[in-house]
Amino acid sequence: MNLQDQLQWISDSATFLSPELILLFGIIALLISGLILKKEGTIIFHLLAFLSIGASALVVVIDWPENPVRLFNGMIRFDDFSSYLKILIDLGGLLTIVLTRNRIQKKKAEYFLLLVTVILGAHWLVMSMNFVMVLLSLEMISLSSYVLAGFGFDKKGAEGSLKYFLFGSVATAVMIFGMSLLYGMSGTLDFSTNKFVSALLEQKSPLVLIGGLMTLSGFLFKIVAAPLHVWAADVYESAPTPVVAFLSVVPKLAGFGVLIKFTLAINLFGQSTYNWPTIIGTISMLSLTIGNFSALWQNNPKRMMAYSSIAQSGFLLIGLTSLSISGVHAMLFYMAIYLIMNFLTFLIIQQFELDHNTLSIPSLAGLGRKFPFQSTAMGVGLISLVGFPITAGFTAKFFLFSSLWEAFSQAGKPILIVLFVFGLVNMVVSLYYYLKMPYYLFLKEPPSEKTFLVNTPLWENLLSAFLVVLLLVLFFQPDLLMGWINRINFVL
Amino acid sequence: MQHLLSYLIFLPIIAGLLALLIPSAYQKTFRLLALSVSFVQLLLLLLIARSYSPISSSSQLIEKTSWITLELGSWGLFKAEYFVGLDGLSFIMVLLSVVILFIAVLSSWTTTKSAKGYFILLLILNGAVIGSFCAKDLLLFYLFFEFMLLPMYFLIGIWGGPRREYASIKFFLYTLLGSILILVVIIGLYSSVKEPGPSVQVVHTFNMEYMKDSGNYISGSVLNYSEPWIIGAWSARLWAFLFLFIGFAIKLPMVPLHTWLPDAHVEAPTAISVVLAALLLKIGGYGLARLAYPVFPDGAVYFSWFVGLMGLISIIYGALNALASKDLKRLIAYSSVSHMGFVLLGLASMTIEGISGAIYQMFSHGILSAMLFLLAGVIYDRTHDRLIENYSGLSSVMKSYTAFIIIAFFASMGLPGFSGFIAEVMIFFGAFKSHSVNALLPEWMAVTATLGLILGAAYYLWTIQRMFFGPLSVKVPGDLHDLDNREYAMLIPLAFVAVVFGIFPQPLLDIINPFANELAGIVSRFVNVH
Repeated sequence: MNLQDQLQWISDSATFLSPELILLFGIIALLISGLILKKEGTIIFHLLAFLSIGASALVVVIDWPENPVRLFNGMIRFDDFSSYLKILIDLGGLLTIVLTRNRIQKKKAEYFLLLVTVILGAHWLVMSMNFVMVLLSLEMISLSSYVLAGFGFDKKGAEGSLKYFLFGSVATAVMIFGMSLLYGMSGTLDFSTNKFVSALLEQKSPLVLIGGLMTLSGFLFKIVAAPLHVWAADVYESAPTPVVAFLSVVPKLAGFGVLIKFTLAINLFGQSTYNWPTIIGTISMLSLTIGNFSALWQNNPKRMMAYSSIAQSGFLLIGLTSLSISGVHAMLFYMAIYLIMNFLTFLIIQQFELDHNTLSIPSLAGLGRKFPFQSTAMGVGLISLVGFPITAGFTAKFFLFSSLWEAFSQAGKPILIVLFVFGLVNMVVSLYYYLKMPYYLFLKEPPSEKTFLVNTPLWENLLSAFLVVLLLVLFFQPDLLMGWINRINFVL
Repeated sequence: MQHLLSYLIFLPIIAGLLALLIPSAYQKTFRLLALSVSFVQLLLLLLIARSYSPISSSSQLIEKTSWITLELGSWGLFKAEYFVGLDGLSFIMVLLSVVILFIAVLSSWTTTKSAKGYFILLLILNGAVIGSFCAKDLLLFYLFFEFMLLPMYFLIGIWGGPRREYASIKFFLYTLLGSILILVVIIGLYSSVKEPGPSVQVVHTFNMEYMKDSGNYISGSVLNYSEPWIIGAWSARLWAFLFLFIGFAIKLPMVPLHTWLPDAHVEAPTAISVVLAALLLKIGGYGLARLAYPVFPDGAVYFSWFVGLMGLISIIYGALNALASKDLKRLIAYSSVSHMGFVLLGLASMTIEGISGAIYQMFSHGILSAMLFLLAGVIYDRTHDRLIENYSGLSSVMKSYTAFIIIAFFASMGLPGFSGFIAEVMIFFGAFKSHSVNALLPEWMAVTATLGLILGAAYYLWTIQRMFFGPLSVKVPGDLHDLDNREYAMLIPLAFVAVVFGIFPQPLLDIINPFANELAGIVSRFVNVH
């Protein structure tokens, strides 16, 4: 391919990338305005970030892809699967900006800039079909997240951020090593090509397994799945709440986007000598157990949500274990619901944290009677995380487990039924700690009559009401979302 | 009147949601609202009874509209419906629910601690209970079934006694574990059953009627009749029955899964104890008769000996525990365990008498346990103490109270002339007959179960003797006045029902019979298989 053709490729491809270009312009605008505007307390950065992410989401919806298109010489693919995830990622970004309120006082411009950069990286990651592209976009997310995690500018935040960075770099290093092994054996960096599959099929060496597992570890780090979860609790505890909400959703969704593709590729269309569904199923069970059982002992709301995030990844991996189209659809549904319920919960956690300084779960005692609306909203979010009717969390889990059952009735692998029962029993365990916050809110008496200052903005209450309604509506009418997801034609 | 059942289910739920808008300062409006809702429900029930014909075994007053329809590509169509209807079993249970919920509102009349929240939760619970008894679509049933837990959790947890927090979380965890086991089977059933019809596309349905017909199972699916999958020691269908059985047995509750019950009962406020004992426990028995037995008759036959044995153990163990209980409410709670054991024994016999008796027992226990918990509430109301040893000679100061206690205790121990007698006698007939008809239960089970009656007489009579006879001595302070008008209004109708259906069981049996016949018919086809 000569230079002219390559340039042609690039200019042709660029037309498909208007959402990403908008984000890029947003980043540049934030950078410049941050240099010019020195005044603290200005709202312009909020607006810039909000507008660029919002516009990008809008363009994703308008430019809905009919057929998958390979861009940049096969580096990325523009398809409905990635567009769907991009919308979720953008929504996550928008909700984070709302959550940020005036929490961040120092270095506002940098904060929003990093936020939009993570979003941009996530956009790239869900489109990537090539190891190099995966690595680049993953690092784009990671490097920005490390800084975001330390945005409390205190000792604890710095510690959390450093831990995040150290674990992250090791995970990335391991991933690069795995990728290079796979590249060495297959001779291609594009993991969706036939060449990748056929070359690995011929390889009898266990290095395929090792390379696959090592590559997987980079993704597991991003989605906070065991055994690469150890960083989560400290980072979640020390980072500012909006950042925690952001980190618990956006990088995770992006990580799942690429993990789904990679797992289908490394499974070699079911012909692999290694049993990848079992491997994924084991990771799922491990995440469920570690996440749920560690969450039981937590007394800090954000720390508890960190372990909850690990367990939720375990649930999401159930959809991947079935390695079927309905499994992927169930995951996509679950991701949307997860986005809603997680942000709802963090929204209220932050409100209580700001208004009443509730840094531990017992300090929530008695707030439920004073603030029935917020407490009920939090209750709905948590009940939905358990997967209890009448919230969409139930529907999402129902679809996941149905896909697993379907896979079992087709393949009959014992691991599937083990995971099925295991996952469901874990729902009971999770009930115990998810109920802890409503328990203190409603059932416990406040220690003494304290006076409560309330300065929750009205629009934030409206937002939480909207999210609650969304969770209920998607329970009664899941076809609103599922009908759309079912049209997503996922092929590798 | 087309949508009578929907009115019955959604009236309390909508009233509860509307009550959210009333400021909580108007404390008294909430109980009036709850009472009027229950009253309208009683009227609706009369209308329903008028158009219900007990002859047919099929569902009546059916309402069916599509709810969730999802295109799942090559896999087919996901179809859940809003499908409610009444058959014999449902009718009895709805009848019981409406009456008990009315009395529960009366019994909560004096609740002052955040009355708004209390009555709203009670109204939502009301709708969920009735909804789960009417639902004919499995997903709808599960929705109502699960949705009962949340209001109950808060009702026990906020308005309960000193250890309410522990009791409420224990209740929630146990029952959620049960519902998860049921959910496993629901997912299995939904992917194995298709809607009959000419359609080329496979329609995965949640319709419980279709699940009873072996022809509707997709061939090769995990739960199909002819060649079910083998998982471990048993076929998938046997596992499914076992899961359902355990799931509903937690609710029933059956020994050894009963330990949540005494705690929940002791801590719950009186009205909630009443609803818990009279209605929520029945959902366990109802689920077995509605889902586990008709949909998995092969499993029912295979495990009948085990089910019978567990029923027997519950009868004896529950009664022994009641005998040892020091707390009046705990005693009644354990007597519930013992009485619900009879339901298991009756179902396990799978004779028409046994099944009818089991359903009759559910109704009768609903009425009697409500009465017993109300009576325990009366004494607690006076002195805030329920320890049996603290009282003696109460009959000299609380004459009518003693009279009602004696009626309730005698009825509950199965004395002839009360509804409990009819139910238990039919269960014994069924259990004895089982040996000669279908050879599922050995005769010694029925014989041993009669021990439960003797123990029942022992703990009730002993309690009467300790608390009500002898010299008057009350070791706790309190004003021991006799029953007031509100308490009469709750107790007299219940005592009346217990006596009427003890003397004229026919009307109820007429309603139950078509259902019992059908169920026995379904199961009997599988008796010779093993």
